[in-house]
Amino acid sequence: MRGLYWIFVIAFQVFILNHLDLSVYLVPQAFILLLIGLNLGHSRIIQIIVAASLGLLIDLFTATPGIHTSACLWLIVIRMRLLSNQDLKEHITNKRPYNISVTTTSQYLYTLVTLVLFYHLYIFWLESIGAVNPLKLLSTVLFSSTLALMIIGIFEYLSISKSRV
Amino acid sequence: MQRLLDFIEHNLHLILFAVLQLGCAFLIFGLNPFQQAAFTNMLSGITSSSNQISADITSYLGLKEENRLLQDQVASQFRRSDIGTVRYMNDTIAIKDSSKHTLYDITPAEVIYNTSYKAKNVFIINKGTLHGISKNMGVISSEGLAGVVLKAGKEYSTVMSLLNTNMTVIPNINGQEYYTKLEWDNQIPNTMKVSGINMLEEIEVGDVVQTGKSSLLFPEGIKIGEVLELNEVENSQYFNTRIKTATNFRNLDYVYVVINKQAQILEELLEE
Repeated sequence: MRGLYWIFVIAFQVFILNHLDLSVYLVPQAFILLLIGLNLGHSRIIQIIVAASLGLLIDLFTATPGIHTSACLWLIVIRMRLLSNQDLKEHITNKRPYNISVTTTSQYLYTLVTLVLFYHLYIFWLESIGAVNPLKLLSTVLFSSTLALMIIGIFEYLSISKSRV
Repeated sequence: MQRLLDFIEHNLHLILFAVLQLGCAFLIFGLNPFQQAAFTNMLSGITSSSNQISADITSYLGLKEENRLLQDQVASQFRRSDIGTVRYMNDTIAIKDSSKHTLYDITPAEVIYNTSYKAKNVFIINKGTLHGISKNMGVISSEGLAGVVLKAGKEYSTVMSLLNTNMTVIPNINGQEYYTKLEWDNQIPNTMKVSGINMLEEIEVGDVVQTGKSSLLFPEGIKIGEVLELNEVENSQYFNTRIKTATNFRNLDYVYVVINKQAQILEELLEE
């Protein structure tokens, strides 16, 4: 079931979000919710391998060799750091995915917003490296991150609603 | 060893992260044309900057050798020049090289210790008796007069700086010798005091002060400095004069020891 969810999210990113063409400022990377919500029981090495594999897969579909892989690796390391400050011992033992139900709303939102903003900033900076337009970069990061957060919110809502049913 | 293994085990995820990031860097800058161009551009910027720094360092390190070569060249030119040359019968009969009899020779030296803020300033040079240096030899810099050898050791010599209250020089201004003392009064750096120049003398600020013929230590015409101030003293017919030294004693690195080859003979003649 979890595997199907991963396939669905990746497919949604690769075949729908990447081809939206709404604006050059709107390129949301919602698939990172898979890394943000990764099961808490995984060892650090597994988390790094999963992040690298997912990034590589997205790179294959978007023809951006290394960019998403590098960003996913950074994201997972920052996530480790952020989660280490939260009380998640019980959930780590139960190997539960990281979502709003395992921590306080403020801590979850803080983690989510930080990681989403970082990810978008990193990939858009890397894509425009050598010719960075700060204003365009900032706008793209903010608009894309906002849309990505909204999409992630919808996914989370649907996921939690389904688990309650 | 065990601690190293523990460290690796504890940070294995970070090592894996670093290795994978390295792989990503190769992918990003190797396979993405835009990033590759930006990376190449950045690298060429770094390379040119580092090359510039390297060239600056190399050229700075080579300065010592350059200075040594320049000193040798100056010494060689001094020997070929007419400074301190005695000509016999030059007015009447032209005799080629044999007519030229150099009185002075110079030896380049490096200043390894120097003071310029005391009343009795001295500096030490890296040449001594082994190099033909002896007491009471004149010392000049590329700018002008610098001092007199006070004590000559085997490999090093102590030189009494011009900025020493015990040092006195007879100045020659506008080709005229003034038998008065040019002395360091420990007041203003690189300036000396001359008293006893009559107000009737035709002297102006900026006039060049040189060595004259009244010394066996220095050839005639070695610059001592320039007239800096000519202060009139109330109820006196003499100027209170200040001279700015030609040699900058605060930045004295290389000097030349003046060797009067006929000093002994000339001194004997003078004693008689």
